[in-house]
Formats: sequence, C-alpha cells, structure tokens
Amino acid sequence: MIPLSLSETTLPTVTTQAPDLDYWLLSPLLVVFAAGVIGVIVEAFVPAQRRYSIQTALAMVAVGVAFVLTLVQVGALPADSAGLTLAFATVVVDRPSLFFQGVILALALASLLLIAERRDGESAFTGQAAAVPGSEEERAHVLAGSQHTEVYPLVMFAVLGMQLFTAANDFLTMFIALEVMSLPLYLLCGLARRRRLFSQEAALKYFLLGAFSSAFFLFGIAMVYGYAGAVEFAAVRAAGSSGGLIDGGEPLLLIGIAMIGVGMLFKVGTVPFHNWKPDVYQGAPTPITALMASGTLVAAFGAMLRVFYVAFGTTVAQWRPMLWVVAILTMVVAAVIAVTQRDIKRLLAYSSVVHAGFILTAVVAANADGLTGAMFYLAAYGFTTVGAFAIVTLVRNPDNGAEAGDLTQWAGLGRTSPFLAASLGLFLLAFAGIPLTSGFIGKFAVFEAAVAAGATPLVVVGVLSSAVTAFFYVRIIVLMFFAEPAENAPRVLKPGILTGTTVGLGVAATLLLGILPGPVLEHVIPQPAAETSEAVAAEHTAADSLFAR
Amino acid sequence: MIWLLVAHFTAAALAPALVRKWGRQAFFALALVPASAAIWALPRAPGVIAGEPELFFLPWAPNYQLALAFRMDALSLVMLLLAAGIGALILLYCARYFSDDEPGLGRFAGVLTGFAGAMIGLVLANDLIQLYLYWELTTVFSYLLIGHYPERRDSRRAAAMAINVTTMGGLTMLVGLVILGESAGTYLISGILAEPPSGTAVTVALVLILVGALSKSAIFPFSLWLPAAMQAPTPVSAYLHAAAMVKAGVYLIARLTPAFGDIPAWQYTAVILGTATMIGSGWRALRQHDLKLLLAHGTVSQLGFLTAIFGIGTRDAALAGLAMLCAHALFKAPLFLVVGIIDHSTGTRDLRELSGLRKKMPVVFWTSVVALMSMAGLPPMAGFAAKEAAFGAFEHADTLLATLALAGVVVGTLFTVGYSLRFLWGAFFDKENTSPTPLLHPPGPLFVAPAIVLAALSLLGGFGASLADPVFASYADTVPGAGHDPAHLALWHGLSLPLLLTALCLAGGLLLFRWRVMVAWLGARFALPEAGNVYRRIVYYLSSFATQVTGLTQRGSLPLYLGTILVSLLVVSTAPIVWGRLWTLDVPPVRWIDTPPQLIPAAIIIIAALWTLIVRGRLFAVVLVGMTGYGTATLFALHGAPDLALTQFLVETVSLVVFVLVLRRLPPQFSTPVLRSRRLVNLAIGIGSGILVAVMAYLTLAGRQAESISEGFPAAAEEAGGSNIVSVLLVDVRSWDTMGEISVLAAVAAGVASLLFVRRRTRLPHTHIETGRIVARLPQPPSNGESEWSPLPLTYVGDIITPRVAHKPLWLPGVLTLAQERRSIIFEVVARLMFPVIILISVFLLLTGHSHVGGGFAGGIVAGLGLMVRYLAGGRHELYLSLRLPPGLLIGLGLSITTGTALAGAIFGTEIFAGGAFDLHLPFLEPIHLTSALAFDFGVYVLVIGLIQDILYSLGAGIDEQAEKDSRTGKAPEYESEEVTA
Repeated sequence: MIPLSLSETTLPTVTTQAPDLDYWLLSPLLVVFAAGVIGVIVEAFVPAQRRYSIQTALAMVAVGVAFVLTLVQVGALPADSAGLTLAFATVVVDRPSLFFQGVILALALASLLLIAERRDGESAFTGQAAAVPGSEEERAHVLAGSQHTEVYPLVMFAVLGMQLFTAANDFLTMFIALEVMSLPLYLLCGLARRRRLFSQEAALKYFLLGAFSSAFFLFGIAMVYGYAGAVEFAAVRAAGSSGGLIDGGEPLLLIGIAMIGVGMLFKVGTVPFHNWKPDVYQGAPTPITALMASGTLVAAFGAMLRVFYVAFGTTVAQWRPMLWVVAILTMVVAAVIAVTQRDIKRLLAYSSVVHAGFILTAVVAANADGLTGAMFYLAAYGFTTVGAFAIVTLVRNPDNGAEAGDLTQWAGLGRTSPFLAASLGLFLLAFAGIPLTSGFIGKFAVFEAAVAAGATPLVVVGVLSSAVTAFFYVRIIVLMFFAEPAENAPRVLKPGILTGTTVGLGVAATLLLGILPGPVLEHVIPQPAAETSEAVAAEHTAADSLFAR
Repeated sequence: MIWLLVAHFTAAALAPALVRKWGRQAFFALALVPASAAIWALPRAPGVIAGEPELFFLPWAPNYQLALAFRMDALSLVMLLLAAGIGALILLYCARYFSDDEPGLGRFAGVLTGFAGAMIGLVLANDLIQLYLYWELTTVFSYLLIGHYPERRDSRRAAAMAINVTTMGGLTMLVGLVILGESAGTYLISGILAEPPSGTAVTVALVLILVGALSKSAIFPFSLWLPAAMQAPTPVSAYLHAAAMVKAGVYLIARLTPAFGDIPAWQYTAVILGTATMIGSGWRALRQHDLKLLLAHGTVSQLGFLTAIFGIGTRDAALAGLAMLCAHALFKAPLFLVVGIIDHSTGTRDLRELSGLRKKMPVVFWTSVVALMSMAGLPPMAGFAAKEAAFGAFEHADTLLATLALAGVVVGTLFTVGYSLRFLWGAFFDKENTSPTPLLHPPGPLFVAPAIVLAALSLLGGFGASLADPVFASYADTVPGAGHDPAHLALWHGLSLPLLLTALCLAGGLLLFRWRVMVAWLGARFALPEAGNVYRRIVYYLSSFATQVTGLTQRGSLPLYLGTILVSLLVVSTAPIVWGRLWTLDVPPVRWIDTPPQLIPAAIIIIAALWTLIVRGRLFAVVLVGMTGYGTATLFALHGAPDLALTQFLVETVSLVVFVLVLRRLPPQFSTPVLRSRRLVNLAIGIGSGILVAVMAYLTLAGRQAESISEGFPAAAEEAGGSNIVSVLLVDVRSWDTMGEISVLAAVAAGVASLLFVRRRTRLPHTHIETGRIVARLPQPPSNGESEWSPLPLTYVGDIITPRVAHKPLWLPGVLTLAQERRSIIFEVVARLMFPVIILISVFLLLTGHSHVGGGFAGGIVAGLGLMVRYLAGGRHELYLSLRLPPGLLIGLGLSITTGTALAGAIFGTEIFAGGAFDLHLPFLEPIHLTSALAFDFGVYVLVIGLIQDILYSLGAGIDEQAEKDSRTGKAPEYESEEVTA
C-alpha cells in the first residue's frame, strides 16, 4: 500500500507489528483448522476411492489430538489466575472455555463416529448433492456409489467455529466464530441421503433464518459499540459499570443486548426463535443433527454465558427481564407443542428447545452456581442427545431403508430390540430428569442456582414444564415396552462399531454423571476459587471470576 | 443402612434369574430381604426410641450439597417396620398368588423387591434430594407394577395416569424442596428440622411440598389415580396402595410437622383437603360393587383422615396420626389380601355375585371380621385406639378448624363403618337371589397366612396400645407445644367425647348399611363428575391445545418463521428506544431532502416495493424489485455519488438478467396465492422492521465519539495518486479488503457453476467455424470407471448444423444454431455493433477509474454486459464464440494479477501492496495516469468478466442445453421446485 503519511489524529494507527501469538495455547484450534484445510486439499488431490479412509482418519485424529491438547492445557493453566488472553485479547484460554472446548470435541468425536458410519457402503449423506432429487442422474450416482467426503472438512470447520465461539473475547471474534460454525452447518443440513427435498428445504430455512439472526447479532454489536466504544468484553463490562460513553446512552446498550441476545437465542433455539429447530433437525442427516443438537448447543451456550456473565456482567438487571420472558415462553410453549409430536426427530428437537429453556434459567441466575450448573447440564445433555440420535439412525423403515421417524412404528421395540429400547429409554428418562440419570443432577443444579438467585417462579414453570415433557418421554417408553409391535415394524440395524461406540458413550455418560456426579463436579467442572456468598455483589464477582478477561 | 438398600436393589436385579430358576418359589427367597431389614431394625429400636437416631452420611455431589444421608428416628423406625414387615409378608403372599407361568413374573418380582428398597430408602432418607430420589423411584416402580398387564388397555391407562399425577406432584415437590433447602442453607432434613427457616419463600415451598405429598397420597384433587391403579395385581394394591407407597405423602407431612405444623397455609391445606377427601371418598366407597374398588375408595378416605390428623399439627395429633397410620396399614393390607384370596378362589370380586363364602372360607371370614372391626374403629382393635386418640386430638386442639374437622371426620368415620359393613356383607354373607358362589380352588394355608398375621397384629395393637405409646410418643414429642397433659394411646379412655362419637358413628354406619340400596342410588344420582373423566378431559384439551398451537406456529412456512423472529425483534428493540426516550439523545439533525428531484426516485422506490407485494407473476416481481434498486442508484447519483450509482446500476442489471435466466425454468406465477390478510400482516412487519433499522442506524450516530475516518480520505486519495476516492479506497487504501472480496466472488462463481455442472468442468465447449458450417463440439468428459451413466450437461456431442447460407457473412455466427423463430435480425445487428463499443467503454472505465468515475469492477461488469447482450441475441453458441477463454481461466487470471500486484509491491517496493505511479503520454490522448493500483484493478476487471461469463455459462447456456435435451427427448420442461410463498 502506498504509505499514508497522515497525521495521527485523523487516522487511527494501524499496527505495523504482527501479533505475537502463543501457538501452543492456540494449538487445539489450530489442529482442527489444519485438519479442515488438509481435508480440502485431500478432496482436490486424492483419488475418490481413498478419500473416505483418509478423511475419517484425519478428522478423528485431529479431534482426538485437539481434545488431548485441551486437557493438557487445563493442567497447564496457572492455578492462581482465571486464564490468559491471546492474540490482542481476542481469544481467551480459561477454565470455562477449555471445559466447553473439551466437551465440544468429545461430542464432535461422537458425532464423527456417526458421520463416518457406513452400511453397505451407504453413509447418511447423499452421493451427489448437486444432482436433482429423484432424477436419473441421482440414481446413477447412487448406483455408482458416489459419496461426499467433503463432509469431513466441513465438519472440521464447524467444530473450529464452535471451539472459537466459546473462547472469543470480543464481539467481532465471536461473530466470526459464529459464522465459521454456522456456514458449514447450513450446507451439511442439506446433504441427507433420503428425503432430499426435505433436507434441502431444511438447509435453506436454516440458512435464511440464520443469516437474519447473524445480521441482528452484528447490529447488536454496533449498538454495544455505540454505548461502550469498544467491542472487547472487558471494556464493555467496564462501560457497563461506569455508565457508558455518552449520557443517556443506556438504551443503546439495551438494544444491543436485545439484538445480540436474539442472535444467540436463535442459535440456541429458544422460543420465539426456535421455529427452525424441528424442521432442520428433522430434515438434516441424523449424524449432523446429532452434532448440531449437542456441539452447537454447547458452543452457543458457552458463548452466551461468557457474553452475559462477562460483557454484560455489570448490567444484569437490564437483561434479566428479557431472559426471564424468553425462558418462560420457551419452557411452556415448547413443552406444549412437544406433546403433539409424532416424529422422533421432531420430538427430540422440541426436547432440545425445552432444555435450552432450562439452561436459560441458569443463565438468568447469573451466579457461580448458574455457571457450573449450566456447564454440567450442557455436558450431560450433550452426551445423552448424541446417544439418542445415534439410536435414531438405527431404526429404519423396512421397505426403503429410510429412518423410521414415525413414533407409532416404534411400538413394541422393547420386545424386539431390548437393548436399543432400553438405551433410548434411559436417554428419555435423563431428558425427563429422573434421578440417577445425568438429567436429574443437571436440572437440580440449574434450578438450585435459579432459586438461589431469586428466580423461583422460573423454577416453578421449569418444573411444570418438566412434568409435561416427562409425559411425552414416558409415553414413548410405554410405547416401546408395553405396546404390541406395530404392523409396519421397523427394521432395526445392528449397531456397527462406530454407532455402537456412540450409543455406549451416551449410556455411560448418562449413568456416570447421574450416579457419580461428585468426581465430575469436583475435578472436571471448574469451580470458583473462593465462594464468598456474603453479598449479592460478592456473588457476582464469584460468578465471573472463572472467566479470564 | 446403605447395605439395606444395596441388598434390596441387588435382590431386585437378581429376581428375574431367580424366578426363571425356581418359579414362584423365588418369592420366598426374596421375602427374606425386607424381612432382614425389619430384623436389622428391631434390635436398634430401643436406642432409637430413647432418642438416639441411627445415622449414616456419605457425600455424593458435595458441590450441590448432595449426600447419601440416612437417619433412623422413631418415625423412620415405625415406617421402616411397616414397609419392610408388610413387604416381606406380601412377597410371601405372592408366592401363592401367582402361578409359575404368569407372564412377566420375573420382572414383577424384581420391581416389587426394588420398590420395597425404594420405600425403605424413602423413610430413612435424611436429605431432601435423597428423599426426592426415592420418591421418584417409588413412582417409577409403582408405574411398572400397575402396568403389569401391558396387554390390558385399562392397565396401561391407569399406569400412565398414576405416573403422570404423581410425577407432576413429585416435581412440584422438588421445587419446594429446593426452595426449602436453599432457605435453610442445608438439605439435611435433620438440620432443617432443628432450625426451621421461615418466611414467604418457605411458606411457598411448603405448599409446593404439600402438593407433592397430597398427590402421592391421593388426596383430593389428586385422588383419581388410586382407584384406577386397582388394575394392578392384588399384592401390589395391598402393598403400594394401602401399606407403603401412598403413605409416603403422609410420611412427608408427618416428617415436616414438627417444624412447620403451625404454619397456617400448611395446616389449612392439609386439614381441609384431608377432611374433604375422607368424606367424599367414603361416600363413594358406599356404592362400589367391586370389592377392590370399595377398598380403594376406602383407602383414599382413610388417607384423607391421616392427612387431616397430621395437619392439625399438635403433639397429640402427631401421636394419633402415627398410631392411625400403623393401624391403617395393619387392617387395610389384610383386607386387600382377602380380596385377592376371594378373587383367586372364586374368580370374581363383584359383591353382587358373591354369596355364602362365610361358611366356605371361615378362616378368611374371621380374619376379615377382625380387620374390618379395626377399620370401623371398634374396640378392642388397633383402629379403635388410634381413632379415639385422633378424635381426642381434634377435640383438644381447640381451634375452629379442628372443631369443624372433627365434625368432618366423624361423618367420614360413619361412612367408614358403613362401607366396612358393606364389605363384610358383600363378600361373605348369603344373599337372596344369588346362588352360593362355588370355590374354584380353596386357598392354601400359606396363601392366607400373611392376612392372618396382619389381622392378628390389628387385634394385638388394640390391646397393646399402651405398649406402643412410647414409640409413637418418641416421635410426637418432637412436635412443640406438648403442654403438661400429653395424651396417651390406650384402649380405654373412660367415658369421653370420643367414645360417644364412636357410638354415634357405629349407629350411623348401621343405618347406612340398612339403607344401602338407597345410599348407593343417592350417591350415583348426585355424583360429582368422575375424576377420571376430568383427568382425561384435561389430557385431551392439553393435547388438542398443543395441536392447535403447533398448527399455528409450526407450519413450516419460512415467511411465518421469519415474521415471528422479526416481530420479537421489533418488540425487544423498540422497548428500550421508547423507554429510554432515545430520540432525546444528541443526534445530528435530520436532513430530509436536498433537492426536489430526489422525490421522484423515492416515489418510484416506494410504489415499486408496494407493488411487488401484490403481483402474482414472478418475472414482474423481479422487475419491480429491480426498480427499487434503480431508484436507489438514482438517489445515489442525485446525492453526488456517481461511483456508487454506476456500480449499483450495473449490479442491478446483472442481477435482473440472472433472475430472468433462472426464472425461465420456474412457473410464471407464484404457486400459491397469498391471503390478503397475510399480505397486510407481512407488509406491517416489513414496514416496522424497516423503520426500526432506519431509526437505529440514525440513532447510532449519537454514539459517535471519534472523528470520522473519512475526513482523511481526500488526502489519502491524493497520496495514492488518484482523485476518485471510492476507487482509490477499493484498489489502494483498502486493497486488502478488495482482495478478500474478489476471492469470495471467485468462490461464489465456482459455487454457482458447480450447482449446475455437477461434474468438474473439463474444458471450454469447443465451438468454431469451419467452412460452411459451425461445429460445436462439446468435449466428452473423462470416462469414469466406476459408473456407466452420462452426466447431463456437457456430454452431448453434435450440434453440427449446416447453415443454409454459408458464404454470406453473419452478424452473429452463433445464431445459426437457433431456431428461426427465436432470431431477431435487428437485435443481432445491434448486438454485433454494440459489442466493440461496450468493450471500449469498459476499458475506458477501467483506465479512468483512478481519477474519475469508474474502476475495474464497473468496467468488468460492463464488459460482462456486452457478453450478455451477445448471448441474448445469439444463443449459447454465440456466447462460446464471443470470448474463447473459459471463465475459470479468467477468474484465476484475475486473482493471479491482483495477488501478483500485491506481491510485486513486496518484492520491488517496501511492503505488500506498495505501489508507484507514473503518467503515460500517448499521442492524441490525455496523459494516462498509470499506477500500480491500475494493475490491481485490471485483475479485478478480468475476474469480474470471468464471473459474469461463468454465470452466463451456467445459468444461461447450461440451462439452455438441458432444455434442448429435454425437448429432444420429448420431456416437457418440469418445474423442479415449488416456491413457498405463504
């Protein structure tokens, strides 16, 4: 560029020094990113028949390595500080972010197992996405055994976005992470092997609505910038306590919170921004649904907790009413609608909406218990939901091999496939929050936090909504174990080693977190160093003392 | 204590295997488990009664203060003995009740044993959450037990109803427990009882807990599930629904009474609902024909009695309540067992069909008589002693509530006597018009033994009432306010009011029995609505409401979803604007209008936008949308931004053409007509969102603190050697941004093309002119060994057309491939003549961009439009002919040039994008101001041409070719997608 010798006052100085990056601390992100990039190169240069094995190995190894690196970093964090910030304080490495990243990577690995599963050479993805559904060309591709191994790099990028989403330390980085996470998912949603028009419609809806919500998020950032004069969380937080840059500028902050909230609540899928969820969950290939329902939800809540606890941590009173309303609406409306669902994937989608409402109660709590409660809840829910979707992939229509979504077909499954039905039953009980499953501890944790924060009415609504949801979970269990097998009984595939591992992981996590939550709570979930619950103010500092700023 | 639970759950897990091996005899082994629990407790009883509870504590999730905490005090001891003792007897009874080939017996045995374990855990738990855990476990187990006959529809329904009602109650209770625990700062029950918290939150918590307790104990309005649960096998009814599970609610009330018994909300709720239940259900029991249902309603009635007693909250009441609880378990369980025996032996339990069993089953008859006497509260039974104490407690409580309640429970007891007589008469006595019931198989001794044991205990309990008194008093004394004259349990209290009331009840009961037909008729005539129906109606309404809500909000319509989000956004964003009076901020003044001509494009934009909402044709809609774009461009121009205007004009044109190209393959009209009302709503939402965004964009200006960066732009442009700021910004000051943007453009081009050309594009379609004919030969794609199919677009070989007039030069050679009716000579001539001019203009725009209007992007689009014109006039082969370079090459070339310029700056200059400038003096022309940015701009130019060519290839030529192929194969063009418009 032609050097601009303008006076310092008119143009802000642009840095001339490259940032000093700590590559070691960024390594979990970089490994996943590198796997994505290498995956793209593999697509370009490796012959088609060898891509599958290379891509799966690459993706799984990368996620595994990133997971290990994340664990190592937890150990390497200095004990006396919350964490470190990197790259001009755009990325943060602290205990919550590492926890969320670890959970996301584990869930991504479980989802990858589902993605990689092939039966008779058939994956869950279409052979050729660009072929017109139902056309001769599509049939030819199916016969030729075409496959899209581009799925793997796409998943890698999505996972990278999820990781970064929970670790972003300013709004712009967070926005970039949001897009990096979302764009591959939009695409992946449209790649289902069967019912392709449906899948494409889902992708289109998700994309359009997602684009809008991203735009709102950006608008919100602009508003917050107008209020605080900065996009860094720490600066926004400081502005929140000092009253902002301009007199009477608080509405700017409020609009900013509202719009950023809309963007995040959309990703999380709470009422009234939930509409996409059932359609997309149903239309997307089930392994991708599993990834979205677990990883994306964890990432979105991870980011949301950071935004609302750190950036808006000094303006709790301003955003609490909004989240109250959203949480109540979510828990009530989604629970009511869920009762009518007849399709397993849609039902799980609504269940995910309801759970988002439950976790919101922890966000509303805005205290240290809320944070740890939400963390536990997210981890517990993530594993359970991945397991549930893994089971969905196994139950197929007898005639065309598509997934048997219709719940009436699941009748009597407990007799024909007892282990599968028992696993799903366990997952459903966990969703319902029955004791001795992880769901109970999670619910207890978030509700306890909410009660401690004085949000008792929210908890009452939450529990009533649990009762309604328990109704439909139990109905499925009844259907599976007590009803006669349906006429058009589905064909239950024998779980391969990949799907089997995922189901097993889900069952193990659900039981372990339910029966022995102690060790997890003690060692895995970060705890605030010194709990000083003397005053509300002290509690607030305890709440975000976990976050590095 | 933990081992008791472990033993039960282990036994439960082993039960199916045992049953498989030993058949029903396995129940003997299983009965040992609860029996051992009772035996474990007995030696510890003296210490416990003396006030030294057994304790156990193991942290579970210390972060949430969750712990495995157990504590056995007098109340727990009594409950444990009941649950374990009766549990053992019931398991023995099962060994004769079932046959070996009963389906699902293994599961049943396991669940029943597990239930006993859960019940023991429930009464021993010293942690609120532990308590809840076992509470829910009993719910789940009871669900499985009620649903023991899954093939029966009633059984399934009853099971579902029971679990729904009790789970709902349980969850409500959980909220209460959490609030209570949070207020007390501990979840240890003993800790809470030692230092009871108080306050509104605690009252709320207690009411919520009470809801849970009442639902578990089937108190009005939750009584419905218990009679329905009689679908369960009789041992289950005897255990769960008489002795154990339904007592959980009463137990919880008893447990919390010492600390909270004096809170009015707690008292009133428990006493009023308890009494009402006692009367209502007693009345219903009087008209039942099914012995089991009679007992079920009777149980509900008695549970109401117990609730009312504990609800009084005095020390005497607690004593009486616990005594009554034991007495009830001891008489109700044997009665259920007797019903089971009768059912088993005769095949019916309808009292209209039973007759003469008194003589055929004398042992069973006398057992029943003892139990019924206890139930009716006749001396010398345990029931009598307990009921006397209860009446006494009501009397001594000396409040209006207690007095009213006393009247209520007397009526209830009167009904109890009535239905006790009804049971005795119905089950055993000879009836007119009914032949003696034949015995299918007489009951064996082991089958009857548990009932006899329990009935005998009822009798012993009466005589030993004063012996049991210290045990119950050990609990009752924990209730504050004992006074100096505490009541004692005894068989004989002297002539007092309670005794008088007992006599009254007896007399009344006899009368009721005397007029039983009329009572039954009256009951049926003035029956309250059946609770089961109410429940079903609620479920039905809930599900139909849910269906409606789903239908309303979840119809899969994208506009609706988007509308929802936008409306929510409007609400959440408008609120702060209005609330914070944001317009009072110090914002720059609004400049409404600069010149009157601006009104014209503004009006056009508004009209076109509104019109778009009305039209039905897709093409027209696209044109109208385009008009809003042109209008905006005009506004830009009028505002003094020619660069923006030019670019906008060009982009609008390209998009319009692209739209048209795509719309060729779609139906001409929107598929579904949109309702007028919906359109109006959409219109309102759109206008609202637009205004919101505009207002926010404007108000944000108030937040501007720093100097605008654009202040420095003129100087920067000067520095960069240009005078067109926009252009300089694009190619120089912010060339990094432009690099990024054109990379995205390249990616978009690849994406668009790849959607149509499924396969990798191999080479440029090879069209050339030979003498006398045009050869348009499309290359064969590389053969793919895996498949035999031929992809659609690029394989067709042929199109060899011999022109009719070979020697005459053509304006556009490509038109030869077009059908005659599609040709337009004028268009061809104009297109041919215009093409060089257009290209010249584009080059001009490229060169002058740095100092005047124009730039590489605008130039590239203009050149692309030239291509477009030739394509539209001459068809796809003309397109292939007019620019022989493939789009991929152009795009790549453009990217290389821009990147090269950037890197050259680093190599020859000081940094990436460093540049230089000099003036080129050519004859006849103004000196051309050349900068390195021009080279960069040239890259952009080439790339944009490639992009438009790519779009034309894919959306234009590619679709043409498909259509041609379709028409050749006789396939009508089909519309591949249905647009969602609603």
